[in-house]
Amino acid sequence: MQRILAIAGLTWKAALRFKLFLVIAVLLFGAVVGLPLLIQDDGTARGFTQIILTYTLSAITALLGLSTLWLACGTLARDIEECQMQVVVTKPIARWQVWLGKWLGIVSLNAVLLAFSGACVYGLLQWRAGKLPAAEQQILREQVLVARGVAREKDFSAEIDAEAKQVLQERLKSNPVTTADLPEVQRQIREQVKAELQVVPGGYSSRPWQIDLGFAKNQLRDQPLQLRVKFNSANKSGSGTFVLVWQVGDPRSQKVWQSPPMSLAPDTVHEFQIPPNLIDTNGVLTIMAANPNDIALLFPLEDGIEVLYPEGGFALNFVRGLGIIFCWMALLAALGLAAASLLSFPVAAFFSLAMLVVILSSGTLADAVESGTVVGGNEETGVMGHSAADAVLIPMFKGILSVTRLVQNFSPIDSLSTGRVITWGELGLAFGQIVVLTGGVFALAGMALFHRRELAAVQGTQ
Amino acid sequence: MNLRAKKILLLLLAAVLLFGSGQIQKVLNRDRERLGLTRVNALDNAPPVLAFTTVALGGFRGLIANALWIRANDLQNDDKFFEAAQLATWITDLEPSFSQVWLFQAWNMAYNISVKFKDFPDRWRWVEHGIELLRDGGLRYNPDDVLIHRELAWFFQHKMGQNLDDANAFYKQQWALEMAPFFGPHGTNLSDLINPPDAAARTNALLLREKYKIDPEFARKVDAQYGPFDWRLPEAHAIYWGAQGLQKAKEHPDKVKADDLITLRRIIYQSMLQAFHHGRIIDDPFAKTSSLEPNLDLVAKVNDAYLQAYAEETQPNQKTGILKAHRNFLKDAVYFLYGSNRSGEAAKWYKLLGEKYPDNTILDDDTNSYPRNLTLDEYAVARVQAELGDTSQERTTAVVEKLIAESYYALALGQEERSVGFKLLARQVYDKFTNKIGKMQSNLERVGLPPFDVMNRTVLNRFLDQQQPVLPFAARAILRTQLGLPAESAATNAPPAAVPNAVENAPTNSAAK
Repeated sequence: MQRILAIAGLTWKAALRFKLFLVIAVLLFGAVVGLPLLIQDDGTARGFTQIILTYTLSAITALLGLSTLWLACGTLARDIEECQMQVVVTKPIARWQVWLGKWLGIVSLNAVLLAFSGACVYGLLQWRAGKLPAAEQQILREQVLVARGVAREKDFSAEIDAEAKQVLQERLKSNPVTTADLPEVQRQIREQVKAELQVVPGGYSSRPWQIDLGFAKNQLRDQPLQLRVKFNSANKSGSGTFVLVWQVGDPRSQKVWQSPPMSLAPDTVHEFQIPPNLIDTNGVLTIMAANPNDIALLFPLEDGIEVLYPEGGFALNFVRGLGIIFCWMALLAALGLAAASLLSFPVAAFFSLAMLVVILSSGTLADAVESGTVVGGNEETGVMGHSAADAVLIPMFKGILSVTRLVQNFSPIDSLSTGRVITWGELGLAFGQIVVLTGGVFALAGMALFHRRELAAVQGTQ
Repeated sequence: MNLRAKKILLLLLAAVLLFGSGQIQKVLNRDRERLGLTRVNALDNAPPVLAFTTVALGGFRGLIANALWIRANDLQNDDKFFEAAQLATWITDLEPSFSQVWLFQAWNMAYNISVKFKDFPDRWRWVEHGIELLRDGGLRYNPDDVLIHRELAWFFQHKMGQNLDDANAFYKQQWALEMAPFFGPHGTNLSDLINPPDAAARTNALLLREKYKIDPEFARKVDAQYGPFDWRLPEAHAIYWGAQGLQKAKEHPDKVKADDLITLRRIIYQSMLQAFHHGRIIDDPFAKTSSLEPNLDLVAKVNDAYLQAYAEETQPNQKTGILKAHRNFLKDAVYFLYGSNRSGEAAKWYKLLGEKYPDNTILDDDTNSYPRNLTLDEYAVARVQAELGDTSQERTTAVVEKLIAESYYALALGQEERSVGFKLLARQVYDKFTNKIGKMQSNLERVGLPPFDVMNRTVLNRFLDQQQPVLPFAARAILRTQLGLPAESAATNAPPAAVPNAVENAPTNSAAK
């Protein structure tokens, strides 16, 4: 361990000697302090806080990410090219220890810089929030500067599948379909069954959503909750909105809250506060939506109705969010070092950036996988094109996506700016998937390559 | 020459050349516009950073604008709007001469994003963002662009003026609150803005020009040509920006399409119709609310606007549409004027209605309701009944009492003409029902109404009641003063003794007696 730490220390010294640490620290500080002066918000304290969180954390991630890649590629490749590594490896230290020491040095450097810039962002937010009027502060504390858990209705998949199966069997008895059509018929029946659970017909009718808050109900006494709703409509209304009236609470009890008529747009997430203590003794919150419009509205089972409840403070949530960003940096350090283990500095830097571009282009890859081709199709007819390369590229894209999703499935900046909780479990999962699994593969590859590399054969730059 | 002197000389030369190229640039910009060398005009009024950015980035700014546009679209799809204002600013800054970019971004804010919010103040903020983007940004860099003027006018006319958005009343209220300091409590104070009598008025006028980009002198011309308007309401501003657009079109005829001109004119006459329908703010000091009432002073000018629009329109189907709208306008004008005790004017427009559209019915459910078959009184009463439903005894009693109540409330608000108008209508409805059921005693006993004076007294008693007050004290006091009644005595359980006399003094109008 001492040897690894010694290499990590040398990496630190190099970073300080080349003033990299200072330059990055100044840039980060500039981003944190300067961005709020340049960015135009939507005019609300909530919007200002959200945009500051998003832009400063994105800027920090981008700056640190690029500097990490650069440093990781440079510190190993240059040491090899400048023949310093030939001296180091004559010492009683294994090459994997050198590699790991470099990685540890870079991630510890990142940890310090991330902690510094994170503390600046946190301090800035608290300072700005403290200067707001009490009402605005309350909104911020309830909706953004908080860690809110999400409760949804129970998963109906099993019931839907069972019901769909039964309906299908009855349908087949009366009206047999060909084998080729069967999957489509199954899909349509399932959607019909699902729709029955999602639709709120017009005319003041509603089905109750029963959301079990479980053990959280004990901590939620006297705490106002937020209802997060989203619905779709088949037709547009003249005003672009639909009126809905909400009733929350157990209808058999006296503790029922009814909202004033709300003018809500479809296909949009709406959040509003509901009074405390509406949860029944079993920890279930009952919600009804009266739909006075003359058309049916559809509340998706997945995210149509959600209850957001305070689950923790912003500070720890912020730390966990930074923790996930830190995991990304650790992965980038492993990627850069792995590339530099085999390649010269410019090629390693190019390769690492190319990998980063691939990760950032996962949306394009996902589109290609979804459409089954890389050549696109006719937007008007909906007919997809076809290419001979599809046979190779589509499976390859699927493979790339399955790896990149291990890394991209976490969105700490989004969660922090919308006041969503990032659980310890999520952080642990991020560490496992990003650092241990993905980073581990790069680390093993990098160590193996570095171990087998003939250092004396490298053409020095000096 | 030593090195230092040489450097200073070169620097001076560079400065002179830079200044010279700046001067030549103006000539070049004029020439390229005159000779049609580029489709894009030189950017005027841009701050140095924006001017530098647009030049330095060259063709790449289009790519960056595209990337920002994609991000804005993605975020909007995810219901994240907090970046929308920033992204719109960046996109428009990158393409400041491209008016469609301004139009889309502003429309997106005012129409798409605003309705995504359930709270009206949030919606209003986005509508204002849209207006500001066009007015403060779009027109700054494209001061002669007719499309931007048209869109700005459209926001005022359609988004704020019409009632399609559930929050339209809130928009009107907020705009009226913003405009009241400039245009005064009645929204008509243009003279103080044109010739400010003191420092405060000068500041006001300056603020109106600088912040809201409204030229009081031009506003006065618009008011004289199309008004009089209450400038606290959005329709006046829709007409202002529409008229500005027409003015710019006149100055730059080569840049205007015929369709754009038609749209501008249409916005103006449609805004005038809206202003006629709800172009006056009536403050209710008792309920601490405001309501919108017809602006009957606009009738003649709205009529002229329709005739002008008809004359200018080239498409036959549009011409037919204008005629139909004109007929509906005349019907409303007659009814509103009659209800405001402006019977002379009502008769004049009713006569025109009959002359211009003799073969069209004027009541929805009556196939024989040609103007020649109905008197003005009959038409007005039929309109009341059509609006208020069936003509049963219970319903008619409620209608008559409602009209009497409206009459007394208008009197308490100081609207004497409206008060008399409502009382006149109440009497007409009463008489028509009584005539309909006949004078037979049995009918009168079975389905007849109470005597009109009794109904009048009942309503007034309710309004003046101290024990279970319908009106606040101030309103009761005004009503008593208007009716010549003694002041209220201390609260007792006794019935209000003065009321029977009040009925005799009340403005039940002579025609009704």
